Amino acid sequence: MKIDNTQPLEYSTEQNEMNILGFWIFLGAEIMLFATLFTTYFIYADRTGSGPTGADIFEITPVLIETFLLLTSSFTIGLAVNAMRLQRKNATIAFLAVTLLLGAAFLSVEIYEFMHYYHVGAGLQVSAFTGMLLTTLGTHGAHVTFGLFWGLFILMQIKKDGFNPRTANKTFIFSLYWHFLDVMWIFIFSFIYLKGMM
Amino acid sequence: MKELFPAKQVNGFVFSLLLTVVALSVYFMDMSFELGMTILLITAFIQAGVQLIIFMHAGESKDKSTIYTSLFYSIFIALVTIFGSLLAMVWGYM
Repeated sequence: MKIDNTQPLEYSTEQNEMNILGFWIFLGAEIMLFATLFTTYFIYADRTGSGPTGADIFEITPVLIETFLLLTSSFTIGLAVNAMRLQRKNATIAFLAVTLLLGAAFLSVEIYEFMHYYHVGAGLQVSAFTGMLLTTLGTHGAHVTFGLFWGLFILMQIKKDGFNPRTANKTFIFSLYWHFLDVMWIFIFSFIYLKGMM
Repeated sequence: MKELFPAKQVNGFVFSLLLTVVALSVYFMDMSFELGMTILLITAFIQAGVQLIIFMHAGESKDKSTIYTSLFYSIFIALVTIFGSLLAMVWGYM
């Protein structure tokens, strides 16, 4: 394995560079996945049948809390990568742990929100609107849930092995994934919630 | 301690919080649907750009052009899918 010391550790081998490029291409596919969900949501947003409309069920407070939690976690995972490039193991672990805690808090608010929707009569099968709303939000939430476990395992590997081309590469790729989830949330926040409450 | 909080990332975070506040104005202020959607489109895409360039370091490696090509291609397909479907299935019947 050839190690190039002029690059940050996560880019230091050919394999590492390929992994990062490959992950960007995967994110391209993820963009298209969310595009199809948004397409279907926008088309059905007014097809509420006898069920509630977006303006009836959306609440600004939990949505704002979720947005703030996810934005902050995207900031802290960026700080974790920065700390990793400075070879600060404890700081990286701390920032990663804060990121995962914020992610878990986001998920709890989202679960509360889903329970709220269920109680006000906006279940998955009520109308085309509620079905696509919950599918789109749920797909994002499932990604966050997956990310929590992924991040936790990476945290354990850094703790055990420290920084090497392998763990640094994994941490960097995880940070790309987490930022991507924040970007998708910004679109959900703007074009599902704010548009629905306008 | 200071090197753990680089100015570029702190500013990026503050800037994205500001953009969120601007986007929120469509909820708290009374405005037309068209103006509201314009504000949301602008703030959302700037925010996505902030994340990509400041936090995801999209342009730092030698694979920069491949990354941007694949990214812009998927964004292009995403926009064509969304607006093309809206045109064919909603706006065309209004």
